[in-house]
Amino acid sequence: MASIELLILLTLALALVSYLLYMWSPRLSSSVTILGSFLVFGSIVYQGYIGSFDVGVNYLPYVSFQASALSTFFAVIISFTYAMVSLFNPYFLKKETNGRLHNFLFLMTLAFVLGVLFTNHFMTMFFFFEAVVWTSLFMIPLKGSKQAAVMYYGFSAFGSFALLAAIFLLRANSGSFLIDESLALVGGSNQLAIFALLVIAGMAKLGAFPFHLWLPEVLGKAPEHTSALFSGGLEKLGAFITVFALVRLAPFGPNFSAVDLAWTKYVVAIMGALTIVFGTLMAIRQDDAKKLLAYSSMSNGGYMLVAFSLMNNISLMGGLYHVLAHALASVAAFLAIAAVARQTNTTKMSELGGMIHKMPVTYMVYLIAIISMAGIPPMGGFISKWLIFQAVINKGLIFVAVAVFFGSVGSFLYVFRPLAALFLGQELPQFKKTVKEAPIFMLVAMVILSILNLLTGITPTPILRVINTVIVELGLESVVLTRYTIEGYNGLLHPGLIALVFVFGVFVAFLIFISLKKSKKVGLMDTYTAGNFIYTEELMHYSVDFYAPLERLYEKYIHIAKNVYASIDHKIKEFARLVKYFVFSYKPEITAFWLVLILIIFLWGDVL
Amino acid sequence: MILSLVIGFGVALGGFAFQTALGGVNRKIVARLQKRVGPRWYQEFLDIFKLLSKRSVSHGWIFDFGVIMALGGIIGTAMFMPVTENIVAFPNFDNFFIFVYLLAVGMLGMAMSASGSGNPLASVGVMRALTTMVAYEIPFMIVVLTIIKLAGTSSVSGIASFQQLAENNWFMIALPFGFVVAVLSLMGMLGKKPFETYIAPAEIASGPMVEYGGKQLGMLFIMHEITVFIEVSLFVHLFLGGAENIGMFVLKYFLVYASLNLISNVNGRFKIDQVVVFFYKWPLALAIGQAIIAIYLGWVI
Repeated sequence: MASIELLILLTLALALVSYLLYMWSPRLSSSVTILGSFLVFGSIVYQGYIGSFDVGVNYLPYVSFQASALSTFFAVIISFTYAMVSLFNPYFLKKETNGRLHNFLFLMTLAFVLGVLFTNHFMTMFFFFEAVVWTSLFMIPLKGSKQAAVMYYGFSAFGSFALLAAIFLLRANSGSFLIDESLALVGGSNQLAIFALLVIAGMAKLGAFPFHLWLPEVLGKAPEHTSALFSGGLEKLGAFITVFALVRLAPFGPNFSAVDLAWTKYVVAIMGALTIVFGTLMAIRQDDAKKLLAYSSMSNGGYMLVAFSLMNNISLMGGLYHVLAHALASVAAFLAIAAVARQTNTTKMSELGGMIHKMPVTYMVYLIAIISMAGIPPMGGFISKWLIFQAVINKGLIFVAVAVFFGSVGSFLYVFRPLAALFLGQELPQFKKTVKEAPIFMLVAMVILSILNLLTGITPTPILRVINTVIVELGLESVVLTRYTIEGYNGLLHPGLIALVFVFGVFVAFLIFISLKKSKKVGLMDTYTAGNFIYTEELMHYSVDFYAPLERLYEKYIHIAKNVYASIDHKIKEFARLVKYFVFSYKPEITAFWLVLILIIFLWGDVL
Repeated sequence: MILSLVIGFGVALGGFAFQTALGGVNRKIVARLQKRVGPRWYQEFLDIFKLLSKRSVSHGWIFDFGVIMALGGIIGTAMFMPVTENIVAFPNFDNFFIFVYLLAVGMLGMAMSASGSGNPLASVGVMRALTTMVAYEIPFMIVVLTIIKLAGTSSVSGIASFQQLAENNWFMIALPFGFVVAVLSLMGMLGKKPFETYIAPAEIASGPMVEYGGKQLGMLFIMHEITVFIEVSLFVHLFLGGAENIGMFVLKYFLVYASLNLISNVNGRFKIDQVVVFFYKWPLALAIGQAIIAIYLGWVI
C-alpha cells in the first residue's frame, strides 16, 4: 500500500478529479468521494494494524511524517467517519447550493486531517491544522448560513493562534520543532503558558466551555451530513490536541493531596465538568434535533476532557474509547436525522412526528445510537462511561462526579426527545404520503454504524487491546484485560455477559408476549382523550417544549456565556474607538495634543 | 454458565413473586392506616393474571416491542441481583453501574412504547418520569460514590460483605446523612408520594400507562414489581449490610418497603418542578457534604 505521503497526494488528486467530474456527472463526482474516503480508511487500517506504515517523503517539501499508535487510532476513527458520511454525499447534492464545492472540500479536509495526525513536526502540523480550518470553513455555508461559518472561523482562529503561540514557546524552550522532542523537554517558567495554550487550542476545536458557542451554530446550520462529519470527525482533532497537553506534557504545579492531582489538571477537569453540565442543560431545551445533538457533542467532549485530565491508565482508556464510541453514536444519530431531513426538509422536532411508520430502519438506527450515547449497555457508550466513572470514583473527585453523573442521566432526557417527538407520537398528515424510507446506500452506512455500536458494547476487548498499545506508547501501564473482561479499580466488567443476560431477558419477555392472546390493532388516533373529540393529529402530538417544567427552572441563565462574549465584543469596540479617536483623526485639537505630548517627551530626553 | 442463568432467572422470578405478595401485604397495612379493611394479600396476583388473560389493543409494532424490551431489560437486570452471600448468579459481575444502567434499558423500552401509543398524556407522563429521574439520581449516585470509595469495590455483594466485617458499621450508621439522602432517592425511584408526579392518576390519567390494557399492562405490572424488587434489594445491600440468609433478607426488605409505604402515605404530591428543586437543594447538599466528610476528612462512624 501507498505511503502516507502518497495517500495524502492521492486524496488531494481525487478531490480535484471529483471537482472536475461534477460538470459531467454529479453522481460520478460523489462516487469519487466515496471511493477516496474508503480507500483512505482501508489503507490506514491495513498499514496501521496489518502491515506497517511507510513514512518516507519523496515529493512534498519540508514535510516529514511519523506513525504512532495514537495517530493511527485517531486516523482510523476519523477516516471511518468520512467513509460512512461519504455514502450520503450522492443524495444531498440537490440540497446544497454548491454540491461540487462540497465534494471537492470533502476530500481536501480528509487529506489535511491525515497531515495533522501523522506529521512529526509542529510547524507542519500547524500548516495542516490551518488548512483543515480553511477547507472545512467553506463546507458550512452550503445550506445558506454565513453567520455560522464566520463564528466557526472566529473560534478556530483563536484556537489556531493559541496553538501557534504554544509551538513558539515550545521551540524557545527546547530548540526544536519536532513534536516528540519538544514535548519531552518542556520545563521552566514557560511550562504553565505552554500547557494553557495547548489546552485552549484543543478546547476551541473540541467545542468545550467557554469556547462552545460555534458548535451548535455550525452543527445546526451546516448541511445535515456535514454536521455528522464535524461531530464525528473534525471535532475529534480537538481531542487529539488535548492529549498532547494533558497526557504527553509532564504534570506540574502543586498537587491537591485530597484527590492526588496537579491543580492545573484539576482546573481542566472542572472545565470539562462545566462543559458536561452546560451542554446537557442546553441540549434539553433545543427544538432543532441537530442543535440538540450538537450540544450533546459538546457535553461528550467534556467527558473526554475529564478523562484525559485524570492521568491514569483507566481514565485514559475510557477517554480514548469514548472518542470512538461517541464518534460512532453521534455519526449514526446525525445521519439518521439527516435521512429524515432529506425527506421532510426540516429538523425541527415541533414540525415532525410519527416518522417511525415510514422509516422503521432509520428509527432503529437512531434508537441504537442514542442507547450508546446515553451510556446504556449493551452499547459502546457504556464501556467508556464505566471506565471514566471508575477513574473519577477512584480519585474521589466529588464535584466532577456530580457533573459526570448529571451528564449521564441528563443524556437520557435529551436523546429521548427526538425519539418521542420526531419518530414516535402521532403520524402527521402532511408526511403520510410523501415520506419514504431512506435510499439503499444511506441505509447501508447507517446499518454498519449500528452494528458497530452494538459490537463495541458487546466485545470491546479487541479494541481495548489496541488502545492499550496507545496507552503504553504514552508512557502509562496497560490496563488488565482478559479475553472477555475488563478490570477497573473497583470491579470487573464483563460486557458480553451483560449482553447475553439482556438477550435472555428479552427472549423470556418475548415468550410471555407471544404465548398470550393476540391484540387487536387500532389506529393512533383511537386513544383515550378523557371524553373529548379530537380529530386533528397535531393536537394529539406532544412535541413543543417537551421539558417545559424543567426548562423553566434555568431558562433565565442560559444567555450568560453569550452575554459575556457580547460584552467583550463591546469593550473591544470601545477601545478601538478610543484608539481611532486619538490616532486616526483629522481634528486639529488631537494634532495639537500629539504635538505637545511629543514635545514633552523630547524635553524629557534624558529619562526616555 | 447455564446454571448461572438458571439461578439468575430464579432470582428474577422469586423476586417478582416475593415483591408482589409483599405489595399485597402493604396494601393491607396502608388500608389499616386509613381505617379500611383492604384487599386480600394475593390481590395483586389476581390483578396481574386477570390482565394477562384478557384480549387487548395494540397501537403498532413499537407499542408491543417497547413492552417486550421493558420487561426483558428488567428481567435481565434482576438476574444480576445478589440475594444473600451465597445466592449470587454472577459473582464478581454484580457491578453497581450495571443495575443503574441496565435498569435504564427497561425504562427506555417502556417510555418508547408509551410515546408510540400516540397519546399526549403518555408523553407527558414520560417527560415527568425522566425529569424525576434526573432529580433523584444525582444525589443517590454521589452517596454510592462515597460507599464505593470507602468499600473499595463496586460489586453490590462485595459492598454488603464489607459492612459485615467486624470493624465496619452498616453504611446506614456509618454515613447518616447519606442514608437520609438515599431514603429520599429511593422514594423517588419507587414513585412513592410526594414524588409520584409522573403517574398522577387524577391529573394525567396515570401518565405513561394511559393506553395500556390486557397483556401489555399485565407485563408492565410484572416489570414494575421486579423494578421495585431490584431497587429495594439494592438499598438493603448498600445500606443495611446485605443478608446472611434468606430470612434476614426478607425481614430487612420488608422493613424498608413497609416504612417507605408508611412515610409515603402521609404525604401529598409535589409538582414536577418542585421535585427537581427539592432534590437539588437539601439532598444534593447533604450528599456532597457526606462525601466530603467521609472521603476528604475520613470521618466515618
